[in-house]
Amino acid sequence: MAAYITRRLVAIVPTLFLVLTITFFLIRLIPGDPAAVMLGPDASPEDIERLRHLMGLDQPLMVQFGRYLLRVFRGDLGMSIAFHMPVTRLILQRVETSFLLALCSAFVVFCLGVPPGILAAVKRNTWIDQFLLMFALLGASLPSFWLGLMLMLAFAVKVPLFPTSGFSSVFKTGNLANFRYLVLPSLTLGFVNSALVARLTRSSMLEVLQEDYVRVARSKGVRESRVILKHALRNAAIPIVTVFSFTFAGLMSSAVVTESVFALPGVGRLVVESVLRRDYPTIQGLMILIAFLYLIINLITDITYAFIDPRIRYD
Amino acid sequence: MFRVLWRRKTGLVGFIVLASICLAAILAPFVAPCDPYRLNPSIRLQPPNRAHLFGTDMFGRDILSRVLYGARLSLITGFSVAFLSGTLGVGVGIVSAYFKRTGMILMRVNDALMAFPEIILALALLAIAGRASLANVIIALGIAYAPRMARTAYGLALRIREFAYIEAAQAIGSGSFRIIFYHLLPNLISPVIVQTTFTCALAILGSASLDFLGVGVSPEVPSWGAMVNEGRIYITIAPWVIVFPGFFVSLLVLALNLLGDALRDALDPRLRRLV
Repeated sequence: MAAYITRRLVAIVPTLFLVLTITFFLIRLIPGDPAAVMLGPDASPEDIERLRHLMGLDQPLMVQFGRYLLRVFRGDLGMSIAFHMPVTRLILQRVETSFLLALCSAFVVFCLGVPPGILAAVKRNTWIDQFLLMFALLGASLPSFWLGLMLMLAFAVKVPLFPTSGFSSVFKTGNLANFRYLVLPSLTLGFVNSALVARLTRSSMLEVLQEDYVRVARSKGVRESRVILKHALRNAAIPIVTVFSFTFAGLMSSAVVTESVFALPGVGRLVVESVLRRDYPTIQGLMILIAFLYLIINLITDITYAFIDPRIRYD
Repeated sequence: MFRVLWRRKTGLVGFIVLASICLAAILAPFVAPCDPYRLNPSIRLQPPNRAHLFGTDMFGRDILSRVLYGARLSLITGFSVAFLSGTLGVGVGIVSAYFKRTGMILMRVNDALMAFPEIILALALLAIAGRASLANVIIALGIAYAPRMARTAYGLALRIREFAYIEAAQAIGSGSFRIIFYHLLPNLISPVIVQTTFTCALAILGSASLDFLGVGVSPEVPSWGAMVNEGRIYITIAPWVIVFPGFFVSLLVLALNLLGDALRDALDPRLRRLV
């Protein structure tokens, strides 16, 4: 198992290097002088020169790239122009909200994706199957900002069950009641992201339910619930885990919109704020962090495969 | 295609809804009851009534007219992004599959680009472009959705490349250009059309999200996402301002997804289990 994990870890190094190269050159694509663009039209030449020096833009390109790589490996993502603090600290301040939101949303995705997917496969070609498929398709078609506002209208304005916006730290205050701020955002994110999980769970289960070992289990008189949950689901799990991990990574992307709708102080909202304020070092830092998380999620998925199907680790 | 749609009723519904929205968008100058840009503060935030079927917004503009004109923007963005990302993605995918050494580098870069969620990549590209405009939104989303298309095209082209007819074409001396355009591309076209339909739906959602976040087209231009963003602060007193534009985004995307599903089943049953 250790050899398998090491192989997977080594495999992400080139991709990580390319991610860092892309984020480095992305900032250099800004037409004109990035320092002048960041400071706006009223900046004096001295200010522009000072920022150029601070960002290392006055150095040769390869020196800039080398320093940038060293900085990133030390965990230094640069200095935010708009927020006047290190980007790493800025992100750390926002991580709790996004982390808890992703966890709660993943729970919703699981509940709305996996059991309905299994049910649709078991009840294939019945009205239950058709209804669940349409429900999943609807989830994939709703814009998250609109669904969020509709949920807010229904469950925060008309029937005031949950707060409309904001978030108060759970870790700092120790108050679990603060999770109520995440109910509507999680439902929004969870519903729009569960569609693919539900559809893929259904198709994987349909495939597995036709296998000989399922037929054998049934003919031996094994209870149907056991056939489905133990024999079929475990063998259908790999595609489900794959799409679930992609969905988890996708939550970070949808969170950009959802955090803005519910005014949650998370990483997604920071992306929008830094884009609106043209805070390029923060955008660059956030892109590195998000891509890194994506690669880590992929790595965890690969490791999960090996646990689900031991044949994979010997391949 | 119509035979396929006729067999798949949900696909037919999707096609009819899409065609109706396209028709309404084309005929917007003739069927819109009011000028979508005309401000009239004396009738601001009126609920749906006979004169204004969808009500009016905070500037007294007719929401139905703005929804009709907004359909134009959504459709233009959706189709343009689908075309751009399709062309870029299929180009990169085929070249990578056919020229293995170049492909190795291109696909690694593609994998790295896929590590960035599409909307975040599009946001970063828009920040770099600096000026918010329809062209920039289309280019940013087109680039953001291209890696996914490239991955699909690459996988399919790799398989087709090993078929006997490609080998036969090489044996009779066909050049790379001829093999790519006459033998590889036509055999890819069905799954690419299916993927393009879904990309179009995603692009409409993506551009509406960018407009909602205030980084898309300029706010005075009637766009469904921007209309929801402008109206959100009036959610308690005038929910119709956000209900109608959001509903039409959902309807258009749902229609494209239904159509995409039907086309997938008809054109490429192998892809059925993937989506």
